[in-house]
Amino acid sequence: MTVHNLYLFDRNGVCLHYSEWHRKKQAGISKEEEYKLMKDGFLAFQTSRYKLHYYETPTGIKVVMNTDLGVGPIRDVLHHIYSALYVELVVKNPLCPLGQTVQSELFRSRLDSYIRSLPFFSARAG
Amino acid sequence: MADAVLFEFLHTEMVAELWAQDPDPDPGPGGQKMSLSVLEGMGFRVGQAMAERLPRETLAFREELDVLKFLCKDLWVAVFQKQMDSLRTNHQGTYVLQDNSFPLLIRMSSGLQYLEEAPKFLAFTCGILRGALSTLGIKSLVTASVAALPACKFQVVIQRC
Repeated sequence: MTVHNLYLFDRNGVCLHYSEWHRKKQAGISKEEEYKLMKDGFLAFQTSRYKLHYYETPTGIKVVMNTDLGVGPIRDVLHHIYSALYVELVVKNPLCPLGQTVQSELFRSRLDSYIRSLPFFSARAG
Repeated sequence: MADAVLFEFLHTEMVAELWAQDPDPDPGPGGQKMSLSVLEGMGFRVGQAMAERLPRETLAFREELDVLKFLCKDLWVAVFQKQMDSLRTNHQGTYVLQDNSFPLLIRMSSGLQYLEEAPKFLAFTCGILRGALSTLGIKSLVTASVAALPACKFQVVIQRC
């Protein structure tokens, strides 16, 4: 079981953050085009290869996480990413302007540690 | 009791507003002086009032060190919901107060990112310390330094007339 990648979008569709851990194939399109596809949004869906989990807040922040098929419902995980990481380390950071890609190293490293600590994240994909 | 985060947001906006209005575009230490001293002055008046308002069992502090301990415990808890992590002195009027996880810096970074911006977020607090000391009858000079976020040191030098 593993996590492939994670996107954070704001209400205007600006991609605030992107991280990947185990991504087997790169899509044959540029990153910008890929962001446009991702943000048009679902609640969750899966294909034979991966599962996409979606979480949206009343303020329009969207968390999109792609995992492999072994992962069940993870709404509380996505909520934690929003409230304990994004709100605490980005919204409350005086030096992070809202509506732009997040530059904070602290946010990136705490998010990475959190994802790696999840029970369904294993260091080896598949 | 108001949500403690309200003060943090207000402080963030004060710093941002002062920097936006600073007519001097020079980003170096000279250009920042005006805004830093305005922030410190505001903190001074807040500190003066806080020291009057905080209840304390003993009305008279027996010695200078007791006043500094009061700042590290009671004042810091009232403003930041935590105590200062360490207090050192040379017993000749200089004190170094160290906070290893200063609440106004803690969400910014854990290390060196944003280091050059950090002094802007310490000026108001230096004023709070200087103001509180002033109410308690002590004239001082307070400066702050950051080596790596979120730890910072406040240096208090007592001014003897």
